[in-house]
Amino acid sequence: MLKLAWKYMLYYKSQTLAIFTSIVLTASLLAGISSLIYSSQKSDLANSKTIYGDWHYYVETDREMYESIQSGEKGEGYELKRCGKLEIRDVVLDEFVLCFIHTDETYRQMAHRDLLKGNYPEKENEIAADGFVLGSLGFSGNLGDSIHIGEQDYVVTGVLKSKWAASADEMEIFVSDGFSGRGRQRFLYLGFDEEEKLYRQLDSFLKTYGLNAESVVGNDEVTRYLSKEAPAGIYETIKFGLTEEEGNFTYIVLKLQSDYNLTYHGMIALLCLFSLFVVYSVFNISVSKRTSEYGMLQTLGVSGKQIGGTLILELFMLLFIGYPLGCLLGNGILSLVFQKVGGVFKGSLSGADQTLAEGTNAVPFYLSWDAMISGFAFLLISLAVVAFILVCSLKKQSLKDVMSGDTSFTKRRKIYAVGPINMAGVVVRKFMFANKKKVFGILISLSMGGCIFLCTTYMVENLKIHAELSLKSDDGLGSEYRISLKSRSLIDTIPEAAADKIKGMPETERVYATKYTLSEMIHIEELEWEHYFDERNQDLSFQQRFGGICVRQDDGTYRIKYDMYGYDQELLEQLRDFILEGEIDPEEIKNRNQIVAVANMDGQGNYYFYGKKPGDTVTLRVPRTDGYTDELLSFQSNEECYIQQEFEIAAIVSRSLAREQEFLNSDKWEDSPGVIMTNEQMKENFGIADYSFINASPAEGMEAEQASGQLRQVIKDVPKAVLQDYTTAIETQKNYLRQQQIFFSGIAVILLVISLFHIVNSMNHTIFARRREYGIIRAMGITDGGFYRMILQTGILYGVLADVFIFLIYNLVLRRVMDYYMAHVLQFLHLTANIPNLVLMGIMILNVVIAVAAVMFPAWKMVRETIISEITR
Amino acid sequence: MSILELQHVEKIYGEKANQVNALRDISLQVEEGEFAAIVGTSGSGKSTLLNLIGGLDNPTKGKIFVKNREIGSLSRKELTIFRRRNIGFVFQNYSLMPVLNVYDNVALPVTFDRGRHLNRKYIEELLRELGIWEKRKKYPNELSGGQQQRVAIARALVNKPQLLLGDEPTGNLDSATTIEVMGLLKSSCRKYKQTILMVTHNEAIAQTCDRVIHIEDGRIVNGKRRFPGKGGDALC
Repeated sequence: MLKLAWKYMLYYKSQTLAIFTSIVLTASLLAGISSLIYSSQKSDLANSKTIYGDWHYYVETDREMYESIQSGEKGEGYELKRCGKLEIRDVVLDEFVLCFIHTDETYRQMAHRDLLKGNYPEKENEIAADGFVLGSLGFSGNLGDSIHIGEQDYVVTGVLKSKWAASADEMEIFVSDGFSGRGRQRFLYLGFDEEEKLYRQLDSFLKTYGLNAESVVGNDEVTRYLSKEAPAGIYETIKFGLTEEEGNFTYIVLKLQSDYNLTYHGMIALLCLFSLFVVYSVFNISVSKRTSEYGMLQTLGVSGKQIGGTLILELFMLLFIGYPLGCLLGNGILSLVFQKVGGVFKGSLSGADQTLAEGTNAVPFYLSWDAMISGFAFLLISLAVVAFILVCSLKKQSLKDVMSGDTSFTKRRKIYAVGPINMAGVVVRKFMFANKKKVFGILISLSMGGCIFLCTTYMVENLKIHAELSLKSDDGLGSEYRISLKSRSLIDTIPEAAADKIKGMPETERVYATKYTLSEMIHIEELEWEHYFDERNQDLSFQQRFGGICVRQDDGTYRIKYDMYGYDQELLEQLRDFILEGEIDPEEIKNRNQIVAVANMDGQGNYYFYGKKPGDTVTLRVPRTDGYTDELLSFQSNEECYIQQEFEIAAIVSRSLAREQEFLNSDKWEDSPGVIMTNEQMKENFGIADYSFINASPAEGMEAEQASGQLRQVIKDVPKAVLQDYTTAIETQKNYLRQQQIFFSGIAVILLVISLFHIVNSMNHTIFARRREYGIIRAMGITDGGFYRMILQTGILYGVLADVFIFLIYNLVLRRVMDYYMAHVLQFLHLTANIPNLVLMGIMILNVVIAVAAVMFPAWKMVRETIISEITR
Repeated sequence: MSILELQHVEKIYGEKANQVNALRDISLQVEEGEFAAIVGTSGSGKSTLLNLIGGLDNPTKGKIFVKNREIGSLSRKELTIFRRRNIGFVFQNYSLMPVLNVYDNVALPVTFDRGRHLNRKYIEELLRELGIWEKRKKYPNELSGGQQQRVAIARALVNKPQLLLGDEPTGNLDSATTIEVMGLLKSSCRKYKQTILMVTHNEAIAQTCDRVIHIEDGRIVNGKRRFPGKGGDALC
């Protein structure tokens, strides 16, 4: 059998080469893309670690445990790779809330709080802090100068890296071990072995030290990549999604994503299927050329088993050689590409803030061994099954049928030559549609590459928009600078004069000053998502400060705390990108005293605003500015302390742009509900003249350092005002998003290339399979030109039909699936982008060109042969 | 008047050590209206000779004249057009288009030359003459061998070629059908004043023709002419 398989491989060199190439290409695709996604996820993890810290959990502990646990500790069921230690020695409530902390080196590494300048404090009166804190405290001196905090003077010995700008809501001052302070609160920051399941290691760790699970706080943005909790069973997940009221398809997808990394494993599964499809198709085409020979072998007494064995041996030989080669090729090429475009944290640091100093280290390219191994196992088994199926199909036919090859075609009792018709065209169509199943298969494979490419392009286009909108809204990264107040009281504001001064500065542009107050929306009759506010309501600080977020009244209605913003005209206009319903016309909003409402979004990307539409009204209560105290924020004081007013909804949007960070969006909460109106309305309705925060960008061509310096000067005299510099954060996020786009586009291009290979192979076969018939036609007297025209017609017809296929499949099925996936699973903000017409046209034209090229090449080869040699085949 | 003339034609396949002399110094003349049989054993070169005459292959040496035109001097395109207008082929394995029915198979070569202007009356006449008019909507694999060969003959005749070449046209047929097909060829030869050159290895069939050309090891060994006159009155 081995000899026969080898002989076959040698004799049918071109077919063997086609199968081998398909294996190499699909293996490179499988290995390369899996590694790419794996590396991409690792890069996501690196991104999260940079933003949120390179630790998994922290736990408050006592002195004994604090001192005994060290990095590298191995216990039963866990390995503590790193253990950072942080002690809060004192808290000073001055202009800001300042924490005096003592940490070890490991913690500082984990939290990216490395020393940039100077030394770490060694004496009791020495401190170190980041640029943001020092700047906010008004420190502009040199290292060694002193600073007054609380009632004491300290010597600044060092400057540390700042926290990620977007989450810099705490002010930490690093002190030496000699700093005694007024108390000790100790925390251990735990970094487990990431190769093992984190939840298991944490369980073992807690058990070992007899700790309560509730005392543990997780770094969710990091641990979500590292199996932070025991996954639910797949069956249970699907059952819940299909049978329970709260469950749905999106639930299943999201749950599988969070528990089983669906993107990665799903992609591996899809790639395996795609690989099998290509290899099977190429194999099938190659084998169909020798079906008659297998029939002959059977007449000589060779059993079906032996033929199957020969096929399997042939495939396995090719797989064993081709697969590793493909893996090497795919990983090699993609690692080169990755090194070139990779590295999330490229670029220089913002000099003013030095938010991050992660450096220019490129993110390494990780090999996805499990994808390579499972892909190999999958192909090994599948190809054996393929050979088995082929042998079964041989068995089904009689020996005579097998030997005479494929004679199946649809017989229409119609005489075409009776009418005035181009018979060459009839022959072309007859050849093409002789076997509808085959034609369908070819058209599917012709469309596959195009469809994948279109889907990916569609996603990339929307990703771009989502990224832009996210930068504008989510992280507050729409502007490079944000001046806000480190205050939890509405009393503190940025005076109008300061805002005007900033607006007039030549160093800045796009200055948006925003007014803020807390409000309460009343008379909400029903909550469609009953549990939406449950978690927030349970937050103790919300209960204490605001008397809860969503409070049910005796009459059955609800009162919900709402952020109320006053935007200037330009910022309000920018909200148009986020409109879900209605229209935003700042003039009309002002004149008709309307509001823009921010909808609530659930975990599955669905939006909701209590069933209200633009044109409906909402009633809002706002604390009066005269006689304001923080107690009013609970909205439980006398009615005369509040202004109550009804507003018409002009539009409902998905996000707000400039957002507060000290009230409803404080601590772990974000995306709190809000309503937006103009700054003028804030003044007219509620008498709010001053601002709460200002967003600004450096003017074009202006040094960032200069702009931030000027801003600091302006806010110097505004109590509790701080300047946050997002320059590096914006650049980093943009790099990261650019990289994601390159990933997706890269994957699309690779799949397109493989599809093209497959198309060329299929079309080649389609033409060569009719070699004898074409020979007869040539013998009948068709000229070479006529023959080429005939073949050209075939190619064009295939190309056009594939285009129709692509158009229909993409528009009727894939685009809808993509919309659903992007809206509910990826939760893109707005799906407004379409595939550029140029790309669409390009794909359509490429299809026709490829189809034509794929048929013209075999035609050219046939014409070079003598007619006799073609007929006698 | 001679319709076909071969002058010192040679055909060599392969190169160097693998060279095979398929035809050696073949010179031959065939008169208009003649029905000649080329007879020889398997591998003697008779099919090669027919393919060279039909312009399906090129001789290594020598010249071939059909209707006084040297076909070797024609360009590919000219040769193709010349062939379809003047030469008809009937192959042993019928070589019909499996995806076309009988009528369309027959009409196909005409469309290459005259586009959409078919002489449908002539096609009908031809099909009726060959007894396959009733089968015109059938596909080749629904016909018997004899019926398929009739279709092949009809297709070869549809362009009214002056020279009809048959490569063992009865090779796949039983004796009764063979007689039938030979009769058809002869009557066609008579009716349309055609010259027929037919390759066969069956001496008995050859003997029914006007002339038998024996070929062995690529050489003509005997070219006796039973009816030297035009048209071959006695048998055709």
